[in-house]
Amino acid sequence: MIFPKLASTSGAPLYLQLMQRIRHAAESGALQDGDQLPSIRALAEELVVSPNTVAKAYSELEHEGLLDLRQGSGAFVTLSRRARSFMDHVDRARERVSELVDALRAEGLRDDEIRRVFEAELLRAAPARKR
Amino acid sequence: MLWYKAWLETRARFLVSLGGMVALSSYYIYNEAQGVGKYAGLDWYYTALHTGHGLIAVMWVAAVMFLIMGGLLREKVVGTSSFTLSLPVSRARLTGVRILFGLSQALALAVIPWGAMFLVSIVTGKATSIHQAIFHVVLLAAGGLVFFGVALLVSSLVEGEYTAPAVSFGILFADVIALGDRPLRAFSAWNFMVGSEYFNRRTELLTGSIPWIHVTVNIVLATLLSAIAIRVTDRREF
Amino acid sequence: MSDCPAIETIGLSKSYGRMEAVRDLTLFVGSNCLTGFLGRNGAGKSTTIKMLLGMVRPTAGYGKVLGRRIDDPAESVEIRRQVAYVSEDKRLYGYMTVEQTIRFTSSFYADWRTDRVAALLRKFELPLDRKVKSLSKGMRTKLALLLALARRPKLLILDEPSEGLDPIGVEQLLECLVAQSSEGTSVFFSSHQIEEVERIADRVCIVERGRLLVDLSMDEIRQSYRQIDLVFPFEPRELEFNLMGVESVRTEGCQLRVFSSGNTDGIVERARAYHASSIEVAPVGLREVFLGTVREKSDALV
Repeated sequence: MIFPKLASTSGAPLYLQLMQRIRHAAESGALQDGDQLPSIRALAEELVVSPNTVAKAYSELEHEGLLDLRQGSGAFVTLSRRARSFMDHVDRARERVSELVDALRAEGLRDDEIRRVFEAELLRAAPARKR
Repeated sequence: MLWYKAWLETRARFLVSLGGMVALSSYYIYNEAQGVGKYAGLDWYYTALHTGHGLIAVMWVAAVMFLIMGGLLREKVVGTSSFTLSLPVSRARLTGVRILFGLSQALALAVIPWGAMFLVSIVTGKATSIHQAIFHVVLLAAGGLVFFGVALLVSSLVEGEYTAPAVSFGILFADVIALGDRPLRAFSAWNFMVGSEYFNRRTELLTGSIPWIHVTVNIVLATLLSAIAIRVTDRREF
Repeated sequence: MSDCPAIETIGLSKSYGRMEAVRDLTLFVGSNCLTGFLGRNGAGKSTTIKMLLGMVRPTAGYGKVLGRRIDDPAESVEIRRQVAYVSEDKRLYGYMTVEQTIRFTSSFYADWRTDRVAALLRKFELPLDRKVKSLSKGMRTKLALLLALARRPKLLILDEPSEGLDPIGVEQLLECLVAQSSEGTSVFFSSHQIEEVERIADRVCIVERGRLLVDLSMDEIRQSYRQIDLVFPFEPRELEFNLMGVESVRTEGCQLRVFSSGNTDGIVERARAYHASSIEVAPVGLREVFLGTVREKSDALV
């Protein structure tokens, strides 16, 4: 798998960005069940980021069920049921966003305006649940 | 490996000094030996040997002052002190190795040229007693030790790439000029080195036995100066 | 992360006459992570590092590196045995060749990795038989770095390591630092190059005029630090925005810029309450944090 560089200036910690990329790769099929990801050291060197970032991303993904960290062997992709349902979740979310974006475009908003609105919303922490 | 560093650092200076001293003193004595055959007697030759000794003494002091140029203070000016001080060795050891290595080089610079001069005198058939040779070398080394100590201390106190040897030379001149006269002569290290006190003009020889007490005093003085230099370097901020 | 911090200082100070180079510095640098040390020229970074390594004596305070006291000469020697250091000027002995320098340095350290030397020599393209005095500045820098990177020390301290390196050299350096970190070495490096620190550091410490201003993790900065640009239909009063989380506020006419370290919601809510006509929240990079805190707080330090 080819890993694009992470954006070091952005509103999200690097390990979260890395997790998203790996999830995306698993969803899109670039990573198959059983594939081995590079070692923490190798990936850290390739991306030129702190190994703690990679370690944290791998650890969180293991928690989510997407990776299996085997002591001494490395990190393996496991599209477990939990991970699969999570990915379905993401698929459904993507459909909804797609509909919303189409609607906003139809209203006359430009793409960069739409992007800004999304980014601004995301940068706010999750609002307290009303009701 | 600190010895290796000391050697690489002073190699050029040492070899040039040694070569120069051996060549000059040997040539001088060889020249005088030729002269003796034609114009004068053995007495003249012994005076020449004594003058040759003076020549070596002058070159020795100059050589040692340049050899001792170095140390942490000079490294600070040149910029390498951060590297040296980051090594896992105590400052005392850094200075100590430099002192011992410098000392062995200084002794070599006393013994080898004199040895060469002695060899030339044997080869040219104008023998000289080995006692005289040893006497001269001891005077040179013991007297020189004080200058060694002074140069060392100065290099630990005076900052600047070439300022330290300049100051040491200044002190040498002060010794020669200020302590040159009768009453103070006994205290002059330079006079001791050159052996003026022991040189008998009539016999043209160094008389008496080797003045071990004076030698010991000089050694103690040199050791004291070195100890101060070590302590000064220890306390310094870099 | 092991319990013992790689570096800890409490109230560390250094004055030269009346000039205070380092003021009451209390710092904890964790082990097994990459920590960036930022500050302007003359902020006290190099002096702090020199105190840690026993080259300069502190005038007050106390410090420990890898659990050993920095003011005890015998402990200091042990510290230097386990720490690899690259100084700011990176000067090496001009009279030695590259090979002699490597041979000399390797003799002092048990953690020297001979297998790495060949790889690093190739990577940095250093000629073995050239004398150090005839190396270019870039090559000298690389040699100085090689002498530290060919080891596996417990702690790596670098003072402006990328100075004098071309972009490829910088990339190689960052890769090496990351490699060292992944082998368990704690890395502490001071730098002017904010982008480099931003890319690889786990934590950042910012000093100004000898004092520690900021000690944060990069994750925290990315997650919580924000720049909030507000426009109001009237001229707002700055005081209304002195909320929790606000680091600094700047007004210009009807515009208000808030630099916050948290509580973005609260600030946005306040802005809405005051009927702001435009609210834009943007993430903040290390450069903004540095400029923001140094400018803001340095005035307060005078």
